Amino acid sequence: MRRNNKIVSITIAAALLIPAAALAQVDTSEWKCEFCPFADGYRAEVDAGVGYVSEDALRFGNGTGMDEKGAELELGGDGRYLKNGTEISWHAEDLGLDSRALSVSAGKPGKFGFSLGYRELPYRLFDSTATVFSSSAADALSLPATWTTAGTTAGFTALSSSLTAQNIEKDRQIFEFGARYLPTRKVRLYADYSRQQRDGVSIMSGSSFTQGALLPRPIDDYTDRVDAGARFALGSFDMTLAYYGSFYRNQLGSLTWDNPFTTVPGAGQGRLALEPDNDFQQFSLSGVYRANFWNTVFAFSVATGRGEQDADLLPYTINTLLPTSPLPLTSLDAKVDTNNYALTFTSRPHKRASIKLSYRFDERDNQTPVSVWSRVITDTFLSGDAEANVPYSFERSRLNLSASYRLFDTVKVSAGYDRTDLDRDFQEVAEQTEDTGWGKVRWRPTANIEAIFKGGTSRREIDSYDTDIGLSFGQNPLMRKFYLAYRYREFAEVSLSASLSERPISIGMTYLYADDSYSQSELGITESTEDRFTADFSWAVSENSSVYLTAGSESIDSIQLGSETFIGPMWEATHDDDFTHYGGGFRIAGTGDKFDLTFDYTHSDGETEIEFAGPVVSATPLPALESTMDSLRLSLNYKISERFDASIGIRYERFETADWALEGVQPDTIPAVLTMGASPYDYDVWVAGIGFRYRMGADTEL
Amino acid sequence: MRLITLAIAGAMLFALTASTAGGQEPNYSRKGADSCLACHENETVLALFRGAHANPTDPDGPFGHGQLQCEACHGPSGDHAGRVRRGQERPAPAAIFGSDSVTPIDEQNGLCLNCHSKDTGFGWHGNEHDTNDLSCADCHRSHAAADPVLATATQPDICFDCHQQKRTQTLKPYAHPIRQGKMDCSSCHSTHGATSEWQLAQQTLNDTCFDCHAEKRGPYLWEHAPVAEDCGNCHDPHGSNYPGMLAMRGPMLCQTCHAQSGHPSLPADGDGLPSGAPSRFMLGQNCMNCHTQSHGSNHPSGSRLMR
Repeated sequence: MRRNNKIVSITIAAALLIPAAALAQVDTSEWKCEFCPFADGYRAEVDAGVGYVSEDALRFGNGTGMDEKGAELELGGDGRYLKNGTEISWHAEDLGLDSRALSVSAGKPGKFGFSLGYRELPYRLFDSTATVFSSSAADALSLPATWTTAGTTAGFTALSSSLTAQNIEKDRQIFEFGARYLPTRKVRLYADYSRQQRDGVSIMSGSSFTQGALLPRPIDDYTDRVDAGARFALGSFDMTLAYYGSFYRNQLGSLTWDNPFTTVPGAGQGRLALEPDNDFQQFSLSGVYRANFWNTVFAFSVATGRGEQDADLLPYTINTLLPTSPLPLTSLDAKVDTNNYALTFTSRPHKRASIKLSYRFDERDNQTPVSVWSRVITDTFLSGDAEANVPYSFERSRLNLSASYRLFDTVKVSAGYDRTDLDRDFQEVAEQTEDTGWGKVRWRPTANIEAIFKGGTSRREIDSYDTDIGLSFGQNPLMRKFYLAYRYREFAEVSLSASLSERPISIGMTYLYADDSYSQSELGITESTEDRFTADFSWAVSENSSVYLTAGSESIDSIQLGSETFIGPMWEATHDDDFTHYGGGFRIAGTGDKFDLTFDYTHSDGETEIEFAGPVVSATPLPALESTMDSLRLSLNYKISERFDASIGIRYERFETADWALEGVQPDTIPAVLTMGASPYDYDVWVAGIGFRYRMGADTEL
Repeated sequence: MRLITLAIAGAMLFALTASTAGGQEPNYSRKGADSCLACHENETVLALFRGAHANPTDPDGPFGHGQLQCEACHGPSGDHAGRVRRGQERPAPAAIFGSDSVTPIDEQNGLCLNCHSKDTGFGWHGNEHDTNDLSCADCHRSHAAADPVLATATQPDICFDCHQQKRTQTLKPYAHPIRQGKMDCSSCHSTHGATSEWQLAQQTLNDTCFDCHAEKRGPYLWEHAPVAEDCGNCHDPHGSNYPGMLAMRGPMLCQTCHAQSGHPSLPADGDGLPSGAPSRFMLGQNCMNCHTQSHGSNHPSGSRLMR
């Protein structure tokens, strides 16, 4: 076998060395390809059907577009035309739904091509929500004329008569155009343009000092994106020169609303700034060089970009009774420069050994001018203090070293060292370093069985924690923000997989453990432990039937300390965050491909328990946050003739959540906050459909 | 003298070995694909002719004019296609694809990259998939009329064969629309490799998020420091038990960093439920009942992220 491998390697090596010019040396004059059933002409499959959705359930429509009870049209298909080297293909799915997609591509393979696409992505959040606000303009929300303000929600006498249903949902429409041109075998030019347009309603809060109202915030924006470049394959050197541009445009610069609460004179309205227009452009050069020794590869990437934002600023307040000073700037002229460099070196100096070294540097250099600003607190009164904006910047570098050695034919050992350095401006921690060491053993006693064991530790250290930065905001000096804090981590991972050579059965299991200790934090996260387990089983029972099972669980436990005083922790919260799922399915295709039956089922449970303990504050327990989902899909396809298929499909989904932040929270439940009364999810939806597939074209098989 | 003799003998042996290896002519089949199809006329193989690999008008494709057809990928397989004596085992083709194949994975992948290096080759060498000995055939079906890993609806299941824990996360109640078949792994990850962390499609995690969520990019007048640094500080992009794919339930998530005095940094416990004294700090949008601009504000009075 070893000898055979060598011969195979030599012949493949010879094949790999065959450049285009040398192809002529292989005598292919007798290679007529007479039995090759090349595709030619036009062929297509068109799917058409109707389905029935059993319930109105907005959340079920998230991603699917099937949020309304009643009939829905199912249209889709694929088609391909190929003639004289010209290829045109199209793909359509869910044309009758808000999740529709349609794409067309055309060109001459190996020479040039174009593509055009349109997609919609529905985001559906709540249909249990209601609001007292209505749009008086695209960027303004008004209260009804009958509204009576009050100091708390209990005094809103016109509330119940003013509420109207308001779904929280948005749609993302994506237009795409792409072009490819290959002037030679070694060069590929590409350009992609897309526009993502969003419209809909989300929830924002309009606050008025100690009170707030949840607002149906309109969304009307788009992002133009350009991605273009040239790729060169120059023998042992490949290179890509690329441009990336992203241009965000918000049709709504602000949101004004009528304050439903009784407030000080002049503060009857509030105004929020919405996301400003911004541009980001980046140039990059990346490449790879394959050296002629030790299978050595050098890869590099250099990118430089700039983000800009210069939207007109709103005045300090909409409250005309407050005497405000002029703004220091009418627009910010904000700029962020980004620089990203990477170098990777891999080599196999010995047939059993390989080494890898990589270095990466990422920089966010915020060049936004710093000015001093006066603040009006929630359009209600002057704060009286002045503060400067803070242009956060950072530099992050990562060094990774690793080596692998094939100890025996069946055992490969690896070890590595990673170091991450982070330098920040204007945050509590200026310099932070994380060192990680890890080891890995891969045991592969046969080609069908593999076990991987990996483990390691990491230590994140900081130069110092500057508590003065937060003090002016009233921050407790004992707090250590988790992403800035000292952390010691231990982690281990086991992965087992096996496939039986005599039977097409495969089994896989993984287990991951990670323990984080923030032992130098007096407040904040102090401990976190993760356990993740998965198991998969699949069996190709015959050429026409298969079955699979999957399961997984994840548990994240963490401890958080908090305090209202600067002395020490007053309370401890223990978070126990669990998620489990299991599922399975099968596929059976009948003899002669007459029918095809598929079934998939998934069940999942999520649960988070948060328990409080002293040492100073005693706390009342919270109910668990829960979610349960059952999802089932069944489809049966029957081949009536060479051109016609008939199919029936059934889909079921049950989703329930328990969420104490929403449970029983009516619009007037919180005295100081007028909410939209969103409820936890609870739906149970069946979708049944019948459809037909028609195959057209000379060759009925696509 | 003895050493010199040994050295000369060694050199001669090396030269002989080298000339044997170098002089071995690749043995191609006599009739190319017709030789192969004489035996391999099954649905799996014939699907090739409905896909991109068997396009006779693509000059650089395996079936383009003068190209090596099946042996462009499977290597010179004249011995495999030739006659064998009774009782003799038929030699394997020069290259068989898949992680459990006798063909070394480097060589399998080299055959693919022979043509595809200008498409995907840049990041492949030395990336995590390469160093973990993945073969192209572990993910791609080169014979299929339509490769499932290239379709959004079917790609994630192929990735989940190895990345099983990611399947678990995407099934969580708050996740990107992956299980609905409307988003795939390559929406965020450059699966053929990149020099970015986690093989992200853009240079950094934030750049990758901003690709679709450009409204969060700013730069804002008043930034929220952890947002500007790493979206992953607050969000778990693979899925979460909490709305907004947050890493922890509010207001506790905010309290992992904020312990302002007088803003009571007290536990958001059962007393604040509707059955007790409904708390503006924990119900509804919790902290965001007031501090709604958690990603940053461009309002001159927005330093507390309330405008």
